[in-house]
Amino acid sequence: MNSIIGDSVTFALPLFIIAIGGIYCEGSGIVNLASEGFLGMGAFFGGFAFALFAQFLGMSSVANAYLSLLFALCGGAIFSMIYALLSIKFKANQVVSGVVVNMLSTALSAFLASQLNLSIFGQASNKFLLAVFPRFTVKWLVNIPILGAFFDDTYVFVYIILFVAIIMTYVLYKTPFGMNLRACGDNPQAVATTGRDVNSIRFKAIVINGALAGFGGMCFAYSISTNFSSSIYAGYGYLAIAAYIFGNWRIKQTLYACLIFGFSRSIGYVLIQHLGLPSTYSDLVLTLPYIMTLVLLLFFSKSNISPKALGEPYEKSKR
Amino acid sequence: MIKEKNILKRIFISFCGPGKARMLRTSIFCILLSMLFGSLILLLLSKNPLVAYQSLLQGAGVLPKLNYPGKKSQLTGFLNLVDYTTPMIFAALSITIAFKCGLINISVAGTMIFSGILATVLVGYTDLNPVVARSLVVIIGLVSGGLLGGLIGWLKYKFNMNEIVVSIMINYIISYIVSFVINTKFADPISRQSVEIGQNARLNLMNVEMFGLKMNIPLLFPIAIFVVFLIDFLMKKTRFGFELKTVGSNRKASKYAGMNVGKTMIVTMMISGALAGLAGVSYYLGCYGSIQPRVQPSIGFDCIAVSLLGFITPIGCLFASFLVMIFQCGTSYLSSRLGVLREIPSLMTSILLLFSACAFYFQEKADACKIKLLKSRRPKNE
Repeated sequence: MNSIIGDSVTFALPLFIIAIGGIYCEGSGIVNLASEGFLGMGAFFGGFAFALFAQFLGMSSVANAYLSLLFALCGGAIFSMIYALLSIKFKANQVVSGVVVNMLSTALSAFLASQLNLSIFGQASNKFLLAVFPRFTVKWLVNIPILGAFFDDTYVFVYIILFVAIIMTYVLYKTPFGMNLRACGDNPQAVATTGRDVNSIRFKAIVINGALAGFGGMCFAYSISTNFSSSIYAGYGYLAIAAYIFGNWRIKQTLYACLIFGFSRSIGYVLIQHLGLPSTYSDLVLTLPYIMTLVLLLFFSKSNISPKALGEPYEKSKR
Repeated sequence: MIKEKNILKRIFISFCGPGKARMLRTSIFCILLSMLFGSLILLLLSKNPLVAYQSLLQGAGVLPKLNYPGKKSQLTGFLNLVDYTTPMIFAALSITIAFKCGLINISVAGTMIFSGILATVLVGYTDLNPVVARSLVVIIGLVSGGLLGGLIGWLKYKFNMNEIVVSIMINYIISYIVSFVINTKFADPISRQSVEIGQNARLNLMNVEMFGLKMNIPLLFPIAIFVVFLIDFLMKKTRFGFELKTVGSNRKASKYAGMNVGKTMIVTMMISGALAGLAGVSYYLGCYGSIQPRVQPSIGFDCIAVSLLGFITPIGCLFASFLVMIFQCGTSYLSSRLGVLREIPSLMTSILLLFSACAFYFQEKADACKIKLLKSRRPKNE
């Protein structure tokens, strides 16, 4: 039981932080399909930073692990500026530019990973090996039944994500910046009349999205494969999108959605182990989150309210 | 005629400015720009970009190579290019028609796998008469894709489900379930893909000996060309095409004008899905003959940008598909000849698509430049 909860939380929380980024982005009125690209690129930057600093600090350095998370954050943010440029400045169709940015990210990270491995580390490989991320146990909370499993030998990034999530929730709902951001998603012209720059708010939202997605991507790289390779593009970004749409663009409900995804996944794995089915059945388990999303969307879509100005480039003169 | 002094601006305006064949000119501008970018990357790696582009074209069979192995020539290379382009044309058309109706069909990848596996399982392993088997494959592709597309359109219309999210979910569900089916029943132990289909159902004539050459002849390519013109006709000359475009540009207005918005959307998605299904069968039962589990075909996503590069017109799609596939087919020859990484051509493709996404911005900018130019040359005392 403990392992189910532990596994599902390690899967759900990186997904959650990516979804928060998506909420920021879509909340400001920019369609977010580029999460997949951001998380991959973030993981690439993080993986590269890890490999680079491992030369000086050694593979097992704890500081290096945290440093790589920081670099993933920055890398995602920098890469997301391309998307910001396309969708804000160039007014390209946001869905299309999202898809293009995803493609660019896949191609660019594959190319850079091979090239950098070759020219800096002298290896013919397209992977960056990572160390195991440090884990942490909150001793005085472990003994609580069921809930204690959250705190038993959990990856440290889970706590970091919880902390960041609380801050981001506060910023989005309680600060003027967050209010303006959400207003940009519903009625950008109204925000402009109060003298604020819609495009700059949207730009910030996208960069926040990129940073959070990059961070989440690095967490996935640590928890799922302990290396950076092109297998990071496994659709987690899209799953995060499903999570926040299912959560009706609100952070709290999105957390529930992510936890549901995580639980259904790890319960499925445990079931297969229990029933002694061959490993090919894990494919069926992996469909569970997606099927659940579809079924739940079927019931909740009518009441789903997306930001009103979602997908429209901001035109000053439009009424 | 007023001339701009700044030479760069003059070039920019002449490519993207108003006038005849503007879309074509802007597309060419995007292509040149991305080739410039690609050259920069190649120069950074200290390779000669001209040789690189030449070998790309040679690898894709557009230019002759220096020497060929036995029973191969430029023609075999070119037929390979045509072979790989066929599914891309269908896929790009699928995006185009949905796009014109204001829908974005991301489910092309999933639909391709779906129709591919259905045709493989139902027809691929039987030994029917080649003519019957091949036509059955095409029909299965059309029907299965159409049903899937129609389902997405129906969900969108009936339940207001976001078609993008539904498409993404369906992509993953299909991809995993198909992987499960292949791994449990149809897996080839050596290649770890599905068992290769029989020749009778294959949509390509493989290894045909003609003129002393061994060639693969794609049978679906003429159909692809025909479909391009069919869709063009459908969108430009028929009532349905007009309704489709109207619904795409303003849903409320078309409802007010008495059009059946829901029906138009669902039918459009069905056509779009059917085209994606054709792409699927021509990809899995034409180019490859087997299905790789857990992999979504990259064509399913590339085609979105290809459609955009072709300015969301059927005929544009035809040319854009060829262009993008030249990059992909020439990859192995380029990397072996120059010793660069295999990832470079795909990087250049994505840069090309990045610029093509900005095409409308370029046009807008060129207009602004032109207007500014005209204003500045007007007599002062006006």
